[in-house]
Amino acid sequence: MKGQLDDHALATLMRAAQRGNTQAYVLLLKEITPRLRQIVRAQRRFLKIADIEDLVQDVLLSVHAVRATYDPRRPFMPWLMAITRHRLADTARLHTRRAAHEVQVENVPVTFSDERTNIDGDQYRDPEALRQAIMALSPGQRDAIEMLKLREMSLKEAAAARGTSIGALKVSVHRAMAALRKALIKES
Amino acid sequence: MTIDTEKLIERMAAMVEPVRPLARPWIRTAAWLLVAIPYVALVVFVVSPRADLISKASEWRYVIEQLAALATGITAATAAFATVIPGYDRKFLFFPVLPLAIWLGSLGDGCVEDWIHFGPDGLSLQPDWFCFPAIVLVGAVPAIAMAVMLRRGAPLTPHITSALGGLAAAGLGNFGLRLFHSQDASVMVLVWQVGAVCVLAVMAALAGRYLLNWRSIISTKGRSVLLHRL
Repeated sequence: MKGQLDDHALATLMRAAQRGNTQAYVLLLKEITPRLRQIVRAQRRFLKIADIEDLVQDVLLSVHAVRATYDPRRPFMPWLMAITRHRLADTARLHTRRAAHEVQVENVPVTFSDERTNIDGDQYRDPEALRQAIMALSPGQRDAIEMLKLREMSLKEAAAARGTSIGALKVSVHRAMAALRKALIKES
Repeated sequence: MTIDTEKLIERMAAMVEPVRPLARPWIRTAAWLLVAIPYVALVVFVVSPRADLISKASEWRYVIEQLAALATGITAATAAFATVIPGYDRKFLFFPVLPLAIWLGSLGDGCVEDWIHFGPDGLSLQPDWFCFPAIVLVGAVPAIAMAVMLRRGAPLTPHITSALGGLAAAGLGNFGLRLFHSQDASVMVLVWQVGAVCVLAVMAALAGRYLLNWRSIISTKGRSVLLHRL
């Protein structure tokens, strides 16, 4: 590309950098950074600009850490490209490994599993409206809500107490919950 | 992005120090052998060489197997050192194949001969728990030296590099072992000694990512730059 240093010039800069020449090192790094950015962008099109820049910085740090592995008798770009290729693959592997152990959630439902820590978040704010909504239910639905939700009886116990089947009780409580939800939304 | 790339470059340049380029793989192998061989010789001397060592030196099978084990170690070391140089030629990876094939071929041929001469008894296998710890003992210092030297390179293929390093140290360990351990039955050598070498190489491969990884090498060699980056 126009204006870019060729491999021979880059190799000369790298040799000088290995001898501790700061200016040559800055020039070399500034010369390779746009090329690295271009490579990373081409291979990771789905990444945001900040993530691409992070990868470029990772490659630059890697180049810095292993600059002694550059053989002054050999061309520079194959050396740089090998590091870049391996770093990109390494980062992709790391990302895949992390993603496999992560669970994406929109909102964390509780802070801690202990019930006391979550009372405020779960507590209904208008008990009077709830009481009235329950009173407005049909007798069968009201009984189902009282036994299963307020007294926390099991389905089996509640079915035995009402003399009905578990299936019928499930239907009653489901309909009661829908009616309560509807009534309270209308109220608010 | 934690800091501007331009600033990172300036910090890296400000902290750049002269570095000596790594020597070529075969030169590094020679340097490794300078540490490894005297140690192996010391262990053999301390444990005391086998009584029949002089006569064994004239047995072609023993000599071939010993040379093949030594060559496997040396070529595996060269291959390991090549794999930590970015842009290395992949043909280096096949260096240990030939001596390893000769080593296994000679032992396999020995097994066949034993079977022809002695029948199924020639291939009888007895426990020989001495081999594994002995190879570990003889290969310990070569393995440590190998690990230190490999960490000076780039961790491009940690598992392959470590496996080759492990094979180099264990191959040398087996070479040393047969200088003081009088066990020459081919099937025993194949199972207990070559088996131990393979197990050690696999263990080294599994440990590769812990031994050789970018994170530790960057944090060791570019610590000051990283600290500024955080």
